[in-house]
Amino acid sequence: MGSQAFKRNIESVADIYRFSEDVMAAADIDESVRFPVHLAMEELFVNLVSYNPGARQDILIDVQIADGGVVVTITDHDAAEFDVTRARPVDTGASLRERKPGGLGLHLIQHMVDTLEYDYRDGRSKIRFSKEPETHDV
Amino acid sequence: MFEIDYAESGEVVCSGRLDAAQSARAEAFLGRLETSHTLDFERLEYISSAGLAILLKTQKRLSGSGAAIKIINVNKHIYDIFRYSGFNAIFEIETL
Repeated sequence: MGSQAFKRNIESVADIYRFSEDVMAAADIDESVRFPVHLAMEELFVNLVSYNPGARQDILIDVQIADGGVVVTITDHDAAEFDVTRARPVDTGASLRERKPGGLGLHLIQHMVDTLEYDYRDGRSKIRFSKEPETHDV
Repeated sequence: MFEIDYAESGEVVCSGRLDAAQSARAEAFLGRLETSHTLDFERLEYISSAGLAILLKTQKRLSGSGAAIKIINVNKHIYDIFRYSGFNAIFEIETL
């Protein structure tokens, strides 16, 4: 478990991966949880950086382990309001000709994490998501 | 770390993590393709939406000349991403 602040630029995604991988590996978190957690962290971080390029403050990421699952909280104290739980829908059934590159990040998160919450007040965005281990029927 | 290069067989081999920080490298390579190619993802561990955008952009461009990308040796996690994105309908994909 741990928290770390990251510079708000795209190159930070490698540092975010190493930080969260170290936390999850130390807790022996299953790959079926680690992969979607890494994906959601990257997509949400890149979203915060890309849609608020004038902001300066670092973005804080907190990773907590609970019962084999992971809860991540991403806090941006220099944020524009954008509710990540209300992402624009993507027509994944469109033809190649109709498809436009981009816009898949939040769509993927909604498929791959178990909970996703967004809170905005006084210029601070707080995004929390969780991923539980897959259960298998015996 | 992300690597992309030709194998001796002519296939394009991708390895490592294709994240937002590495997508420019993928775009620079794939942007030079002018004919149909197979991408071998056996050693690709991870891809995010930034990488998906490059794949889609390349497929759209190549389709204009009747060419296409085929992706082989896709791991389960990456295939899930392809499936959620609808890419399994617009790329020929073979899983590991």
